Amino acid sequence: MFRSETMDINMGPQHPSTHGVLRLVLGLDGEVVTDVRPVIGYLHRGVEKLCEHRTFPMIEPLTDRLDYVAAISENLGYCGAVEKLMGVQVPPRAEYVRVILAELQRIASHLLWLGTHALDLGAMSVFFYTFREREMILDLFEAFCGARLTYNALRIGGLNDDLPRGWTDRVRHFIDIFPEREKEYEDLLTVNRIFMGRTKGVGILPPDEAIGLGASGPTLRASGVDYDVRRAQPYSAYDQFEFDVPLGKHGDTYDRYLVRMEEMRQCCRIIRQALDRLPDGEIKAKVPKYIRPATGEVYHVVESPRGEQGFYIVTTGGEMPYRMRFRAPSFVNLQCLSTMCRGRMIADVVAIIGSIDIVLGDVDR
Amino acid sequence: MKGETVTTPRTAATDVSEILRRLLLLELWVGLWVTLKNQFRPHITVEYPKETVDLSPRFRGMPRLRYHPENGEELCIACHLCEVICPDDCIHIVSEKKPEGKGKRLVSFEINYERCCLCGLCVDPCPTKPLTAIYMSHDYELADTKREGFVAPLKVLLDGSQQKEYRE
Amino acid sequence: MSREFIESVGIPTIQVLIVVMVVPLGVAYLQLVERKVLGFMQVRLAPRRVGWHGLLQPIADALKLMIKEDVIPAKADRFLFTLAPILTVIPALAALAVIPIAGRPFALFGYEVRPWISDINVGLLYLLAISSLGIYGIILGGWASNSKYSLLGALRSSAQMISYEVPLGFALIGAMMLSGSASMVQIVEAQRIAGWWYVAPQFLGFFCYLISALAETNRVPFDLPEAEAELVAGFHTEYSGMKFALFFLAEYTNMIVVSSIVTVLFFGGWLRPFPNVEALVWLENGWLVVGPLVAGLFAGWLLDQKLGTGLRLMFAGGVLGSVLGVALAATDLGGWASFQLPAVSGAFWFFLKVSFFLFLYIWLRGTYPRYRYDQLMSLGWKWLIPLSILNVVGTGLAVLLAA
Repeated sequence: MFRSETMDINMGPQHPSTHGVLRLVLGLDGEVVTDVRPVIGYLHRGVEKLCEHRTFPMIEPLTDRLDYVAAISENLGYCGAVEKLMGVQVPPRAEYVRVILAELQRIASHLLWLGTHALDLGAMSVFFYTFREREMILDLFEAFCGARLTYNALRIGGLNDDLPRGWTDRVRHFIDIFPEREKEYEDLLTVNRIFMGRTKGVGILPPDEAIGLGASGPTLRASGVDYDVRRAQPYSAYDQFEFDVPLGKHGDTYDRYLVRMEEMRQCCRIIRQALDRLPDGEIKAKVPKYIRPATGEVYHVVESPRGEQGFYIVTTGGEMPYRMRFRAPSFVNLQCLSTMCRGRMIADVVAIIGSIDIVLGDVDR
Repeated sequence: MKGETVTTPRTAATDVSEILRRLLLLELWVGLWVTLKNQFRPHITVEYPKETVDLSPRFRGMPRLRYHPENGEELCIACHLCEVICPDDCIHIVSEKKPEGKGKRLVSFEINYERCCLCGLCVDPCPTKPLTAIYMSHDYELADTKREGFVAPLKVLLDGSQQKEYRE
Repeated sequence: MSREFIESVGIPTIQVLIVVMVVPLGVAYLQLVERKVLGFMQVRLAPRRVGWHGLLQPIADALKLMIKEDVIPAKADRFLFTLAPILTVIPALAALAVIPIAGRPFALFGYEVRPWISDINVGLLYLLAISSLGIYGIILGGWASNSKYSLLGALRSSAQMISYEVPLGFALIGAMMLSGSASMVQIVEAQRIAGWWYVAPQFLGFFCYLISALAETNRVPFDLPEAEAELVAGFHTEYSGMKFALFFLAEYTNMIVVSSIVTVLFFGGWLRPFPNVEALVWLENGWLVVGPLVAGLFAGWLLDQKLGTGLRLMFAGGVLGSVLGVALAATDLGGWASFQLPAVSGAFWFFLKVSFFLFLYIWLRGTYPRYRYDQLMSLGWKWLIPLSILNVVGTGLAVLLAA
């Protein structure tokens, strides 16, 4: 006589908390999620194909637009890949500046994640506080390269421009005040019982499953797997700095949160070391005016704020790559979503999407 | 160096101070204090059309062309390098051989701002050193009502666009 | 017309008209205050474009909502869809009828005016009954929209409101037992005679009531029915224009109502702090402080803007103004103020307390994340209901022993 059925609900592509144009088809049994099917591709721009018709310097602005929240990491990965392909030795000053930029970018990206994650859980004010601090980093980037989001700041072989005068002091000022600001976010969230209730035990990703799904970055490390590209296969100048890789234990949303919070502190530590030891000298290696790497292929990975960002380039000796392929951390981490969400409530889905920190530009490319 | 675990143990509170802290909702008061404190911090937003933010000297706005600082002619030598490197194909240059002497002369120089992504790559190869002929200006108000308004001819590139009228 | 008729029918009718006309305006400005306070908490500017510092923003918003297209979804139940906002807003406004804003009736043009619309002897029961009616509008609205998000929001809302109705009622019983009356006016009178606000003996009850009231009015951290991050806008996802405005009006009126109830039941309504301490009688003239305080703050702020000294002069102006105001209040304007204008004094304290609770609501909204549905239920059933029952039992024992 009574009939019960699950209800399908479309979350997105226009939904306040799917962080872009992600569409989730949720199977709902009341409030309980029985099935999650992510539908992607709304932001597909065919960047990989576009790259096949661009010369190597022209590709860098395109990489800005993959993971537009952490463009420096993409620039760094791409330039690193081409440099590896050509066998270019980047001068130490350039490498140090790259590290400073990449770590500032990691803080900025984590701040954006923190703000939106907290906003998804209903805590409005954190969003504005994190944006206040992120703004300071964007100002630093603007002073360095002239752009605030799509930086195009690095060049194959080094940097385009040296640091502007007084820039290092501004960075120092930022990393001096940042820890106390981070303390404020922690006061609002880390110890808050509502926040803990919303995140502890939510969206558990067991370590074996995390490895099996290919997760990387904080999503993987929160499950307790000690893998950080900066440590595992150091690139740029990362082998010269001391830092800890924060690890979680339970693989839930709260651990992913804690891991990222700790990562921001470690970023400050790396930046401080890099500023203290910043060498003088050249900022760009000698690279030919027309970049034509020899026939070959290369795979280069960097640790972007979201995880392992890979660049695979195949060349046939021309000034354009024969094939480009990006390993997008957001895309791979998104695959963990249905594992994490099944059996949870609809409010948890929002918390989990926030905690794996996807950027749709990176997912869809 | 190994990774370092950051999470706290998830057991029930046994500590007296911990129980007291939970009972008195201490962390909730701390949260309220943070928002109250921030109420007296200076605001960070800017009322945009009325005030604008300060731009850093390297800010990359719309690309423009420079006049020669001495003879008042355009600085561009029509080498087409910026046109070649532009990833969006937004620069169009028509040049002709100079009637006397060596080199080329500009006939027309157009930048299509609908396509331009403000990446600044065009400035890199510009051969007129130390002052590059093409440079990233501080104009960033790109909106227009007509499509044609986005295609900037030589004159606009050299003299800059008009200031928008709504600025008080 | 007889004098009695005017006093018993005419004046209440005028009062009702005033409430119905003033409350929407108050709600509009309450919303502006909310935006301003949230804005300042979030280190931004909040509305500033319409009018001086955004003072006309609520008017502009109201006008916009009025002339906006009123969309009714094609598959919606048109009748219920229209009925729902009306059903929500009427109980919210009706609840204001039993709220007393001052103590003694006063004379106006020779007629006796009571500073409440109606003082029924079951005032509390009336409030509980009428406020639980509002939920029908929300359920109907969510269901009639024929949208999944609305339906989920409405389901959440109904479960939430029914669960929290219980601790809400229990929390009020303590105050009722202490005063021995369910009439709002009598409860405040009892507090005056007792010499303390009921928040002191009834702290547990106050606490339970405050939390349940947050849940009843769907405010953060219990704003699940309209959790914008999950359900887009919950039960009013499909509403627009004036119908949306009515839901909005109901929500904020409910906020005012529950703040008034807290004030009346636990914070002595129109009574000054320590109502029986003779030395503090100048507090009766507390409203006299407002003028100098506001003037001082404003002058200081203007100077700050001129000199660019942050907010230091504003602070100094505030201190100066309040000192001046206290002095003014102490003189009692030569013994004239407290005797001539008791209603003003009562209304001042009443509105001050209500404003504080409204501010608290906004403050909480600016600070806390949102509970999850099951956590909300477990908080209600496992904590608030036992606590409030405990409070009732404890109060009952205390009353019994004292008698």
